[in-house]
Amino acid sequence: MKPIEHPNAVAAAQPTLEKTGQIKLQVEDIHKCFGQHEVLKGVSLTAHAGDVISIIGSSGSGKSTFLRCINLLESPNSGRIAVAGHELKLVEDKKNGHLKAADAKQLAMLRTKLAMVFQHFNLWAHMTVIENIIEAPIHVLGISKDEAIARARKYLDKVGLKNVEDKYPSHMSGGQQQRVAIARALAMEPEVMLFDEPTSALDPELVGEVLKVMQDLAREGRTMVVVTHEMGFAREVSNHVIFLHQGKIEEAGNPREVLVTPKSERLAQFLSGRLK
Amino acid sequence: MIDFALIAEKMPSFLGGTDGAPVMSTTDGLLMTLELLAMSLVLGLALSVPLALGRVSKNKWIARPVWLFTYVFRGTPMLVQLFIIYYGLSQFDWVRQSWAWDYLQSAYVCAILAFTLNTSAYTTEIIAGQIRNTHWGEIEAAKAVGMGRWLMMRRIVIPSALRRALPAYSNEVIMMLQGTSIAGLVTLADLTGVARRVYADTYQPFEPFLVAGAFYLALTVLFVWLFKRAEKRWLAFLGPRKA
Repeated sequence: MKPIEHPNAVAAAQPTLEKTGQIKLQVEDIHKCFGQHEVLKGVSLTAHAGDVISIIGSSGSGKSTFLRCINLLESPNSGRIAVAGHELKLVEDKKNGHLKAADAKQLAMLRTKLAMVFQHFNLWAHMTVIENIIEAPIHVLGISKDEAIARARKYLDKVGLKNVEDKYPSHMSGGQQQRVAIARALAMEPEVMLFDEPTSALDPELVGEVLKVMQDLAREGRTMVVVTHEMGFAREVSNHVIFLHQGKIEEAGNPREVLVTPKSERLAQFLSGRLK
Repeated sequence: MIDFALIAEKMPSFLGGTDGAPVMSTTDGLLMTLELLAMSLVLGLALSVPLALGRVSKNKWIARPVWLFTYVFRGTPMLVQLFIIYYGLSQFDWVRQSWAWDYLQSAYVCAILAFTLNTSAYTTEIIAGQIRNTHWGEIEAAKAVGMGRWLMMRRIVIPSALRRALPAYSNEVIMMLQGTSIAGLVTLADLTGVARRVYADTYQPFEPFLVAGAFYLALTVLFVWLFKRAEKRWLAFLGPRKA
């Protein structure tokens, strides 16, 4: 993929992080229609190593759909995606006119570099915590079981969970489940982590524990793209924020500027509707 | 009143003992019932996992034939299926001349064949239903970590569906246990077959069928208990949290 200009996605000024890292994720001009309704009208994003990019917007703005297009859980109508320098080969699906992966193996390979954390955790319910975490490292990445277990323990420790290895997800709180899901994502040792409203399904008092884990990950320099409603997180933790409105990037930039003195009227409106 | 002396005298024949020969010297009675049940359940289950995958396949050329199979075998009585296989097939010369005839002339093979096909039709629908019920979020999570379709089926969808199928499947096992009682109608000496033989010998219908019934009831209790244990182990993820 040739380097492209991204007036919206690359922040002009990055006071918190120096832009020396390589490009981990480049997404260009994603369009997506559901029937006649165009949900995404050309959205682009570039994440360098260590970037934490928050995507905000009201519901229906297309932010989750955009995130899900990045790992092709949703098939875009057009656009380009490159992960750590590898461009995903896309071809048109004759059945519906959407794009699909030309090579299923390449898609699978790129997905292993893009770990996703879902709103509803999506842990495998019939597996215990440790089984959830070692599953993909063993069967997709092909590492040994001992190594996978060591990894799982390391990341469970990182997300602050103890004595949960043999529990089933349904026997844990939402906050714990989401932290297991984050550990599962970490165990893939991905290039980029995608978070799809990771705290939206949680009770208010459980949101903090998940946000704290995410903040720790950001401090470690992990590259993250986060769809969120948590303005505090967007402002304090991310170094770049994208405000989506009706399928387009309405405003983007340094969160401490964009969220404090929004230029766009819509963003100002969106922010004033929130107390934080 | 119940003729306990008769029950005591004939009890060995339900346990494979014939006149003079000791208990378990033949497979008559209990062993035959258990053999028919075990063979048809094992073969039926082995068939129904791939059939269930076919049943939920997006490919019509795979899904439709499986649909037809399960409807035909669930839509007709197992006794009729058994009679068609045992008595019906021998009508055709080409069947009698084929290699399969060595097997199809045996009532034992025909019974296992009929029972296997019957239980696999029901089990296919049970498993296919649970495959369809797999939470879409779990499938997305599998895709998102780079699993291909087959790996996802093998590691996530099928193990989860089989566990969730356990309660319905335990019912199917019990139905099959009772269903094997028709084997006697094609000359096999299962529990019911032995009861019929005792009835024919003694002209006393009550005691032999009472004994056969008691065996079925005891086996049912045993299977219910076994499945309860299995569910405790394999379905713990659906249950309440334990302290």
